[in-house]
Amino acid sequence: MEDIAITVKDLKIRYKSVQAYSIKKSLLRLKGAETQSFEAVRGISFEVKQGEILGITGKNGSGKSTMLRALANIFSADEGTIDLHGHSVSLLAIGVGFKKELTGRENIMLSGMLLGFTEEQVKEKMPEIIEFAGLGKFIDMPVRTYSSGMYSKLAFSITAILETEIMLIDEVLSVGDEKFKKKSYKKMKSLISNKDRTVVIVSHNLATLEDLCDRVLWMHEGKMMKIGDPHEVLEEYRQFMED
Amino acid sequence: MKRFISDVKKYWNYTRYAAKSQLKTEVANSYLNWLWWILEPFCFMLIYAFVFGMLFKKKLEYFNIYIFVGLAFWDFFNRCIKSSVRMVRKNKPIVSKVYLPKFMLIISDMMVNGFKMMICFGISFVMMIVYRVPISYRILYMIPILLVGIVFTFGCSCIMLHLGVFIDDMSNVINIVLRFVFYLTGIFYSIEQSFPKPYRTILLNCNPIACIINDLRRCIIYCQDPGFHVLELWAVISVVLAIIGVRTIYRGENTYVKVI
Repeated sequence: MEDIAITVKDLKIRYKSVQAYSIKKSLLRLKGAETQSFEAVRGISFEVKQGEILGITGKNGSGKSTMLRALANIFSADEGTIDLHGHSVSLLAIGVGFKKELTGRENIMLSGMLLGFTEEQVKEKMPEIIEFAGLGKFIDMPVRTYSSGMYSKLAFSITAILETEIMLIDEVLSVGDEKFKKKSYKKMKSLISNKDRTVVIVSHNLATLEDLCDRVLWMHEGKMMKIGDPHEVLEEYRQFMED
Repeated sequence: MKRFISDVKKYWNYTRYAAKSQLKTEVANSYLNWLWWILEPFCFMLIYAFVFGMLFKKKLEYFNIYIFVGLAFWDFFNRCIKSSVRMVRKNKPIVSKVYLPKFMLIISDMMVNGFKMMICFGISFVMMIVYRVPISYRILYMIPILLVGIVFTFGCSCIMLHLGVFIDDMSNVINIVLRFVFYLTGIFYSIEQSFPKPYRTILLNCNPIACIINDLRRCIIYCQDPGFHVLELWAVISVVLAIIGVRTIYRGENTYVKVI
């Protein structure tokens, strides 16, 4: 039997009256309090096996990113459960916690530790990250002197080389110039096709999903339309979008 | 409680590193860079000493150091509370991308401000040597007193962080409250000499900041014991506040991202 890495059951996520309000507003609200509630994810259940690559697609505002963030434990489910079976998880996020005044090297340290790695682990991976980013002598310059391409190259390298058991990816990242794009796509592919790694990708790029994923989940307005073989699901999705 | 300890352990290194880089960032682009950490409090001390010492003719022994000790702790408390109100909003890029116990942001900030406070105390010791202030073993009491102060600040900051997320204009309110507390704390005057009998005891004992600063001055400058009973009471209250604060954060932190 194959191990299950992620179990999601009846997941519901609501954005409700939790907007920030000013004191004046809250005093006024005491009279006729009316709370608005918006359900972004409306009861989704699925399982992801260990080593599987699951793609999620759907039109804008269908709750994909919300669900991904819930998987990453950034916010909690209002109903239902998410069980990661004890695996470490990270949302592949670019440039988390970067400080512009610090050098590239220091930012690698900062970002790596924020993603939950120890100082030693980051230090160990440091040469690999620096090499992959290919920034040359700029690695010891403050990040504010970087061009935007260099910035994203560094950021990508950090997340690509520091690995966790479950990776969550919001839009497959293509950054930098042509050469780095190819290099990063290749790296991405080798990263996620690793047998032990479970990956969830959110993307609008159907070709990429078809290329990379084992299964695809199609979301529409917070509900699950279909889950299964990439070709079948994506074909139906294409037709649906054309109508 | 268990979760709190394991979270602190887990994120301690990051927090420390973030604090260190925050300090580095602050001075990276200025000409006098780290000298500002000494110059700024020193200049404020001179201003208060000038205005209240010379113009209002306040007579206190070692007035400069008296102000300095008060200012050191007040600045720490003031900065921590002020920044904690906007903490989550300010760190939106981090908070919306990875999970991090939100009170670690506070701890990181407290390290930064704590470091500056230590510089202030360092300067006051230098000044004490210059002014030949007698020193006794009682100076060691400053450690437990500061500890109470730090726990109290942490507790307040946690609660402020939580409120700051949900209430937009909390920072305006906090600015006013802090200014009020500042004048009631006796940074540049002595509460004991300025108020008649029942009021000064109330002011000194019911305002934790005044109580802590007063005790610090007693044991650092005047070789006296701190007021143990009141201090113990505030220690207990501080711990309770910190527990409430951490609990509130644990309960609410997953909704923070939805709000901002």
